[in-house]
Amino acid sequence: MAEIEIIQNIIKALIIVSIVLLGILGILIWVKDKTKKVSYLRLFIQLISVPLIFLGLIIGPFGLPQYPPVGNAPRDIVIGTKIFGRPFPDGLPVPILACWYPSGRTVTCPAWQMQAYVYPFWREGPGFGWGVLYTTPGIERLAIVIGLVVVVALLLGRFFCGWVCPFGLYMDLLSRLRTALKKPYKSLPKRANIALRQSRYIIIAVFMILSVMLGAKDILGVELIQGTERGGYLYSYLSAPYCQVCPMRPLCVLAEVSIGAMNATFVFSHTTGIFYEAGYYITSINMIVLAITTVGALVYRRLWCRICPVGALTGIFSRFPPFKRVSLLRINKDEEKCTKCGICKRVCPPEVTEVYELKGGDVTTSACILCLRCIEMCPYEDCLRLEFAHKPIFKSRNWLEKT
Amino acid sequence: MPEGKSEKKYVPEISEKELQELRETIKVNSIKLMNEYLERIRKTWPNRPENMKYFDEIANFFGVREKEIREAKDEGKKVIGYTCMFAPIEFILAADAIPVRVSSGFYDPAKVGSRIVPVEVCPIIRSTVGVKMIGLSPFLEYSDAIITSLTCDGMTKLSEILSDYKPVWSLCPPRVKDADQAALFWRQELKVLKENIEKLTGNRITEKKLSEAIKKVQRATEAFRRLQKIRCGPPVIMGRDAMLVNQTIMWDDIERWTMKTIELCNELERRIQAKEWACPPDAPRIMITGSPIFWPDNWKLPNLIEEAKPQGVIVADELCSGDRFLYDPVGVDEWIMHDMFNAVADRYLLPSTCPCFTSEDGNEDRVNWLISRIKERKVDGVIYYIYRGCMLYAMEYMRIKRVLDKMGVPVYYLDTDYTREDVGQIKTRVEAFLEMLKSRVEVEG
Amino acid sequence: MIVAGLDMGVQNVKVVLLRGGEVISRNLVPSGFNLREAAEQALKEAAENAKISIKEIDHVTATGMGVDLAPRADSTISMISADALAAVHLHPATRTVIDIGAEESRVISCDEKGVVLDFTINERCAAGAGAFLEAMARALEVDLKDMGYLSLEAQGTVSISATCVIFGESDVVSLIHKQTPKQEIARAIYDALAERIMSMIHRIGLKPDVMLVGGVAKDIGFATTLRRKIGLDVIIPEYPEFAGAFGAALYAVNKARREKHNGQ
Repeated sequence: MAEIEIIQNIIKALIIVSIVLLGILGILIWVKDKTKKVSYLRLFIQLISVPLIFLGLIIGPFGLPQYPPVGNAPRDIVIGTKIFGRPFPDGLPVPILACWYPSGRTVTCPAWQMQAYVYPFWREGPGFGWGVLYTTPGIERLAIVIGLVVVVALLLGRFFCGWVCPFGLYMDLLSRLRTALKKPYKSLPKRANIALRQSRYIIIAVFMILSVMLGAKDILGVELIQGTERGGYLYSYLSAPYCQVCPMRPLCVLAEVSIGAMNATFVFSHTTGIFYEAGYYITSINMIVLAITTVGALVYRRLWCRICPVGALTGIFSRFPPFKRVSLLRINKDEEKCTKCGICKRVCPPEVTEVYELKGGDVTTSACILCLRCIEMCPYEDCLRLEFAHKPIFKSRNWLEKT
Repeated sequence: MPEGKSEKKYVPEISEKELQELRETIKVNSIKLMNEYLERIRKTWPNRPENMKYFDEIANFFGVREKEIREAKDEGKKVIGYTCMFAPIEFILAADAIPVRVSSGFYDPAKVGSRIVPVEVCPIIRSTVGVKMIGLSPFLEYSDAIITSLTCDGMTKLSEILSDYKPVWSLCPPRVKDADQAALFWRQELKVLKENIEKLTGNRITEKKLSEAIKKVQRATEAFRRLQKIRCGPPVIMGRDAMLVNQTIMWDDIERWTMKTIELCNELERRIQAKEWACPPDAPRIMITGSPIFWPDNWKLPNLIEEAKPQGVIVADELCSGDRFLYDPVGVDEWIMHDMFNAVADRYLLPSTCPCFTSEDGNEDRVNWLISRIKERKVDGVIYYIYRGCMLYAMEYMRIKRVLDKMGVPVYYLDTDYTREDVGQIKTRVEAFLEMLKSRVEVEG
Repeated sequence: MIVAGLDMGVQNVKVVLLRGGEVISRNLVPSGFNLREAAEQALKEAAENAKISIKEIDHVTATGMGVDLAPRADSTISMISADALAAVHLHPATRTVIDIGAEESRVISCDEKGVVLDFTINERCAAGAGAFLEAMARALEVDLKDMGYLSLEAQGTVSISATCVIFGESDVVSLIHKQTPKQEIARAIYDALAERIMSMIHRIGLKPDVMLVGGVAKDIGFATTLRRKIGLDVIIPEYPEFAGAFGAALYAVNKARREKHNGQ
C-alpha cells in the first residue's frame, strides 16, 4: 500500500516536473514578443510555485491536521517520510516560501523562524515552546535558519522575491488587473522609496526585540508584559509578533482552507485574547494590513516588496558587504552601451532607480527583486545582463528584432 | 494666427516681387545642386543598389513627396513640422497628421536669413529663417504648425521668428534631464503639446491610435537599426547613401519608408554574402559627430570624405539628423495611455545626446554613445563637425577629444558654414586627416 | 634614381631634388598668377642647377595648396604628412612640427617613423600665418626682414589683437599714433602670432622635440618669441621653407622604390 503511494507520488512529481518544463519550453517557443517572453515565463513559474510551495496539497494524503501546530503536517510526511524515508527535522526554511501557520513547518518563512526561535526554544526538551515535540534543539534550528538564509541569499539573492514568492504573484496579478482596467499606476517619490527601504531593517529589529520582550518569562525568567506567561491570554499571539502583522498570513491560510487542507471551522473557532476577532490564524491586524497592501498594490506596483522584512533579510545577505562580494546572482550594466533611455527605471516594479543611476558594473541592490524586467526591456544589445558567478546568463538585446 | 495678418515681430516688409525672384533663382540652384549631389553619389559608387532609387526620388524636395503631401493636405490632413528630434512623431501620427522636419539644409537662403539674424548665428537657423521668408521648402510651407525645441539659443529665437508665420509650439527640454523634476516638467510639456495637436487636427489621440503609432515607429526603428547594424561590417553601403536613407525618414511616409529600408537591407545582406563591397574594405572608417547635417545642400563634408584621395567611408555619425534620429525605441511597459505617454516622453528626452544637456559628468550620454558606436562600427577616425556659431557643440569638443584621445581614436575638428567657398580648404584638411588614418592603419597592420 | 618633391605653395613653389637620398638641388620660385607655369619653371631650374635633364627625374611627388595644378605629379601627399616625414628625417627626435607658411599654419604631432598622430590647421583666416606678419610689417612701415631684429630690441610690451589681419593693421596704426616705440609694436606682433600658434599647439598637446619649419621659421623675431612661449628649445632646420618639398621628395623615394619593386 505504502509502496503504491510512493510510486503514485513519484509519478505525480514527474508529471509536475514535465508540466513545468513543457510550460517553460512552450513560452520560450510560442511567445514571439521579446518584451513579454521573460514576463510570461516568470508569471508561469510564479503560478506553478504556488502549489509547489504547498506541495502537500498535490502529492500525498490530504489528511486534515487534527491540531495543526502539533504533529506532522502533510508535507512533512510526504517529502520527508514518503520520499526521503524519514521525517525532516522540522523548521527547514527556504526564504520567502510558505507560511508556518497554515499547516506545516518544513518549508517555512524565515521571519517566523527567527522570531519563534528567539522566543521559546532557548531551552531544550519537551514542554518548552508551545508544548510541541521538536526533534531538533533551538540553537541548532536557529543556526540552520540563519545558515540557510545566508546560503540561499548568497546563491540567488532576492531571486525568490521576483520569481517564486506567492505574495509577489498576488501583487503582480493586482497590477495586471489594474492594467486590464486601464488605470495608471502611481510612483512613489524616490525619497519615500528609500525611507521604506531603510525602514525594513528597523521593522526586523523592532519585532525581534518585541519577541524577546514578550517571551521574557521564558528567556529571562521575568515577565515584562502581563499576560505573556505561558498560558497567558497574549501568549499565543505575540510569540511571533511580526506574523500578527504580515499580510501574507491570511492569504496562505485562506488558500489552504479553500482547498480543504485546513479545517475552516477550526481556523475560525480557535480564538482567544484581544486579536481574536478574525480568529487565531488571522488576526484583525493581518486583515487590515492585507487590505491596505491590496489597495496599495493596485496603485503602486509591488508595494509590499519595498518594505518586506523577509526580502530585507535576503537582501542583507546578498547585497551588503562582505556578502556582496560573494553573491552569485547579479545584474551588470555596461556603461558605454547605456544611452540612459530610462526604460529600465520606468518598468521596474518596485521602482528601483539604481539600475538607471549607477554608472555601470554591478547595479543590483537590496531592493531589486531580480524580476529581470529591466533586462528584458532594455533595447540595447548586451547593455544589461544577468550574471551568475560572473557568467552572463541573460542579456539585454534589441527586442525590436523578431528573430 | 493666419499668415500675414497680425503684426510681424521680426520679419521685415519685403516686396512680393523680390521674394519671388529670390525664390525662383534659389530654387533653380538648389534643384541643380541636389541633382549634382545625387549624381556624385552615383559616380562614387557605380554599383549602387537598385533599392536606392526610391530614396533618391524621395530626396527630391520638389518631387513625389511634395505632391503627396499637397494631395493629403487637400484631403484635409494636417501637416505638422518640427525643428528638432525632441518632437514626438508618435503623437503627430496618432492624430492622423503628417510629421515633417523643417530644419533647413539649403545654402543660399542663409544669406536671406541674415537680414533678420546676425551672421554669427548658426547657419541652420539663418537658413531656416531664410527658407521661410522666401517660401522655398515645400514641407515648411505646408506645415500647419511647427514644433520647436528650445535646445540652443538659436532654436529658441527661431521659434519666435517662425511664429511670425505659423502657430509655433515650443518644447522646452529641461537641461538637467536626469533629475526627477525634469521628468515631471517634460511630461507636462508633452501633455500640452498633445492637447495642441488634438485641437489642431480635430482628432483625439486615443489609446488605440497611440499604440498603433508607437508600433509603426517601432517597426521603422527596427529597420533603421538594421541598416546601422549592416554598417558595422565591411563597407557594403557608402556613408552618403546610408545618410540619405536616414534623412528621408524625416519627411517620408513612415510605413513606406520602413518597407523600402527593409528591402534595401535585404539587398545589402545579399551583397555581404557575395562580398560585394561598396569601396575598398581598407578605406578609413570615419564617424561624423557634431552639428546636424541636412539634405539637400549641406552635403559638403560627406562628399569630401567619400570622394577624397585616399577615399574614406562614413560608417557612423552622431547627428540628430542621422544615426541618432530613430535609434532609440519607445519602450512601453503597460499598453495603457498613461504608460505609453510616459514611454514616449522618456524616449524623446532621456537618451538624447544633444549638447544642450549638462550633468555633473559632462553630458556623458554623448560620450557613451560615441564610445560604443566607435567600438561597434570599428571607427578609425572621428571628424568633429561644427558650424560657426554652434556654441554648444564647439564647446564640448575638448571634453570629447579627451575621451577619444584616451581611446587612441584620432579626432579632427572642422568648422565651417553654409558656404561653398571653403570647400578647397576643407578638402586639404579632410585629405590630410584621411592620409593620416591610412598611414596609421598601415603601420598597425 | 632621382626623385623630386614639389611644394605648390600659395606664395612660392618649392622644389627639392634627391639622388639616392641626398639633396642635389633646391629651388624656390614665386607662385605669381600662374601657379602651373611657376611650377614648371621651378622644376626646370632645379634640374638645370643639378645638371640633369628634367626627363631623368623618376618620380615627382606634389604637395601643398595648389597640388591640383602641379605640372607633373606621379603621386601626391598632404602637407601634413610631408612636414612630418621631413622633420623626423632631419631630426629623428622630433615629435611636434610647427609649419608656418604664408596662409596656413599647421601643428603636427608625429611618431618616430614620421607617421602623423594628430594635427591642426589654423582657422580659415590668414591671421595665424605668415601673411599676418607681412601685413603688419607693411603697417609698421618696416621691412619684414628687419622686423624680427627690431622686436628683439623692445623694452616693454603692448598687446594687439590677432583675430584678423585687417583689425590687426588698424591696431598697429593706432599704436603708432600713440607714439609707442616700433620695437614694442614689433614684439607685440610676434606675441600675437605666437599666441595663436600656442592655442593650436595646446589643441594637440606639446611633445618635445619641437621643430619649426616653413617660411616664417626664418624670422628671428618669431622664433625667439615662440621659444620663449613654449619654454623649450625649438629646432629650426637649415632650409625651413623647403621642409614640405623635402618631405614630398622623401615620400617620392619610397614610392619610386616600391613601384620599382612591384615592376620587377
